[in-house]
Amino acid sequence: MTYLKTLAAALALVATPLVAQDFSAGSNAKSWNLYAEVPATFEAEVVDILCNVAGDCANQCAEGRQLGLLRSADNVLVYPNKNSQSSFNGAASDLLPYCGKMVDVDGLLIEDEEIPGATNIYLVQTIKEAGDADWAKANKWTKVWAAKHPDAKGKGPWFRRDPRVNAIIADSGHLGLGLSPEEAYEITR
Amino acid sequence: MSLKTTIAAAGLALAAAPALAAEGERVQITGEIIDTWCYFSGVMGGPDAVVGSAHHTCALWCSAGGIPVGLLGEDGEVYMVIKINGEDQSASGDTQLTLASHEIVADGMLYKRDGLNYLVVEAVVEDRGITNLNHEDYGVVPGFAIPKPKN
Repeated sequence: MTYLKTLAAALALVATPLVAQDFSAGSNAKSWNLYAEVPATFEAEVVDILCNVAGDCANQCAEGRQLGLLRSADNVLVYPNKNSQSSFNGAASDLLPYCGKMVDVDGLLIEDEEIPGATNIYLVQTIKEAGDADWAKANKWTKVWAAKHPDAKGKGPWFRRDPRVNAIIADSGHLGLGLSPEEAYEITR
Repeated sequence: MSLKTTIAAAGLALAAAPALAAEGERVQITGEIIDTWCYFSGVMGGPDAVVGSAHHTCALWCSAGGIPVGLLGEDGEVYMVIKINGEDQSASGDTQLTLASHEIVADGMLYKRDGLNYLVVEAVVEDRGITNLNHEDYGVVPGFAIPKPKN
């Protein structure tokens, strides 16, 4: 009977991802006033998504690969799309130092049943290695970018100074249709 | 091995299964390369406004910024691109950046995990450029994406 209970518990664990769990207890996440945001703090392993999902592991945890959070409570792979900064920054740079490690994270889960695929998407605000006392803000992306682009120093946010972005806009315009900045501005007002 | 042990082992194996890489399915998907955060979160408006020409500049910023890109298929599903044309730099990679807002035909392997579709694009079979001219309906999203001309 004990073994049947064990099997039942294991099957329940497998089925857990089908049921939305509440990870808001203890969260100190700040709201972004998003329609489908839910505060969520949980323990997870930082994993290389390409390795974990597709078995492509030769270059796992290398800079530039997307990283995920394999949540301890239910084995669900959460995809951190966003860090805590407000200037179009992903989360991979902030998670990279923790790749392969157990961490605690705090942030906002996006669960929107009206948009296909909008589930287990995460905005990570703070992170710490499991067992550590101090939380770190997930806001390192712009510093990493600045270190890579010393020639792009200047006024204004990084996205106005990014060499690759500016080269594409110079070539095909802000709408991607070959219009000059003045033309694109005029037809969108 | 006893029946009890077999049952317990089977249970534990099932419990561990989601942590293992799944077997992929070969697919060919037509769709638009999008910025997934704006699409999923609604931070800049509804799904129809954060795609296409209206959102092109923002899609460039987000892709360069390391936000995951997705392929918004004709079926309405989003396929998270985790590798494209052999390039595994899916956080700010060059290939995906040059394809921002483009309609493409992608051939590759599809993996499904915890409600998300993950796509390894082995080949961009066709690049049709930007075909969704929704700036005609939405202007530019966000509005500050195109700086006001100085003259």
